[in-house]
Amino acid sequence: MTGTLQPVLSADPMVRDAAGRAFTDLAADWFRHEATSPDDGARTQKRRSVLDAVAELGFADALASPDAREAWVDAATIIRAQARSAAPIDMAVLLATGDRPASIAGDPSVYECAIDAGAPADAQAAIALALGRCLQICAAMEAALDLSLQYVRDRKQFGRPLASFQAIQHSLAIAAEELAASTALSDLALACMVREGCASVRLPGLLDAAALVLGHAIDVVYDASHQVHGAIGFTREYPLHRHSLNLLRWRDHLHRLRSGELRSAERLGDAALQAQGVWSTVTALMKPGDRHD
Amino acid sequence: MNLHFPIFELPAGAEALRGEVREFIAAERRAGLWQRGGDFATHYDPAFSRRLGARGWLGMTWPRPYGGQERSTLERLVLTEELIAANAPIAAHWIADRQSGPLLLRYGSEAQRREFLPRIARGEIFFSIGMSEPDSGSDLASVRTRAVKVDGGWRIDGRKLWTSFAHLNHYAIVLARTGHAGESRHEGLSQFIVDLKAGDLEVRPIVNMAGQREFNEVVFSDSFVPDERLVGEPGNGWRQVTSELAYERSGPERYLSFIRLAEAALQCAGARPSPRLREALGRTVAKLIALRSMSIAVAALLHKGAMPNLEASLIKDLGTAFEREQVGVYRALRTELAVPSAEYLSALAETTIYAPSWTLRGGTREILRGIVARGLGMR
Repeated sequence: MTGTLQPVLSADPMVRDAAGRAFTDLAADWFRHEATSPDDGARTQKRRSVLDAVAELGFADALASPDAREAWVDAATIIRAQARSAAPIDMAVLLATGDRPASIAGDPSVYECAIDAGAPADAQAAIALALGRCLQICAAMEAALDLSLQYVRDRKQFGRPLASFQAIQHSLAIAAEELAASTALSDLALACMVREGCASVRLPGLLDAAALVLGHAIDVVYDASHQVHGAIGFTREYPLHRHSLNLLRWRDHLHRLRSGELRSAERLGDAALQAQGVWSTVTALMKPGDRHD
Repeated sequence: MNLHFPIFELPAGAEALRGEVREFIAAERRAGLWQRGGDFATHYDPAFSRRLGARGWLGMTWPRPYGGQERSTLERLVLTEELIAANAPIAAHWIADRQSGPLLLRYGSEAQRREFLPRIARGEIFFSIGMSEPDSGSDLASVRTRAVKVDGGWRIDGRKLWTSFAHLNHYAIVLARTGHAGESRHEGLSQFIVDLKAGDLEVRPIVNMAGQREFNEVVFSDSFVPDERLVGEPGNGWRQVTSELAYERSGPERYLSFIRLAEAALQCAGARPSPRLREALGRTVAKLIALRSMSIAVAALLHKGAMPNLEASLIKDLGTAFEREQVGVYRALRTELAVPSAEYLSALAETTIYAPSWTLRGGTREILRGIVARGLGMR
């Protein structure tokens, strides 16, 4: 028993052929372009070229191969690291706004236009993108919380660090709890992808669950991290805004990929009604399916 | 941030057990042996506990010489989550199976293990927790119950409070001061197995808000406990008590207390379920998947010998906050149900009145958030 009990995502080094490697690169490229390109003609062009490349190389076919699935572990690492750094994304926002201190209302490109990425026609690619968004969102929430934890330890008011105030401690503790739940859920979806592939029958349900749990967690982290930072967190010179803006954009895109937050909830609710049980639906969605090799 | 819940899949054997447990529960319900209602801390039925014992489902992870079945932690998780999801009457054996037994297995003497564990595993003896006192709630290190060494044993003086089912259970594991507290206040504490049926202590009832007698006050006056009932080393009580916490805080009982209400609402959906109900059920499923995944991670970490107290505290705070919120969600949906059933109304009344206890028992939310904050480096 003990021998078989290993974390699913820390499996032995996997054999990867050219197809798997290509997919890793494609996935990473997709998210890089998606995240960094300013919302202008060039961005649209780049996105189209990535999509074209995916279409040419058979993205969906690649997604169906076991090697490509396993390459997700690599892709996930890249995706998370990029989302955490957020450095190029900050450049993108600056480009989009021409480095003007514009309000969101005055310059919708900061937020609204950044979320115009729709869902790809290919259903499996949409599943892959949704999973990528979940990984990005968790990484960005973690980065926002890390900044907040550093800030409350460094910043002193009333003669002591903010971190020593219980109200501050509890606010960030709650945010960390929501992040932990989000990470557990997106890791579960990633494990499902690695094991069963894009065509897994339960992966859409797990992504719907992730869209709901992450969507709420973003509100909690967005609220808590800005609240503890005070006004400095609401500026362009301090890095928190990079993560906050990413979270808002990526959440909208994640919900769009799942055709809307309420649709995600209703689909899961319908599954429970169909199964005549809330609990039995939970255990069914979490039961590993057959490996699709 | 160093909070991580690794993803574990339940092994095939554990999933096979799930079917077995569901069949057992269905058969019990068909036979009319018990009704849905209450939870792990309130639904008390010694006969049910003995039936579980007869199937090898109590102390199932323990070594065979002590009456166990040497099943895995994750198999026990499958069993307990199915029993809790069905509101089965597990309160009689719950503390003994979840923490007193594991405590004796870890710190007890060989004689204690042989004396108590097989009887726990058969569902013959039940345990209470003897931690809280009139002046020691969340601040457990402040306990004033004192045990003084005498010839052949110890004399205990003091009072324990909120001792669930002390009037029905056979033993309590009592935390008492046996030496100087030291600067940390964590020294000089010891744990004793106390026979609740002994004549030299008093068990006084405390009726709760719901009108039920679950709580008690246990009063010790010069009560004698023989040497062989000291658990572990004298003065090691704090470490032993905190070793129980990960078991106590991370299980399915920390996020499923409301489940009866959600299942009842689902059964009242009617032919054309309200979109609001569909949405609520979906959000419930989503959060349950996240919580259950974290809970499985902690069970697996415990199985590997780790002591994930921080992770367990985090799950309990998140899970119990969710439970309480869910009662309000399904109360508001009352008018969205085709016909609110008697089961829905009963579940609504019960969960509403018991909800405040969920974020208190086993560590208040304020204590838990403090533990998480320490884990995040804020204190």
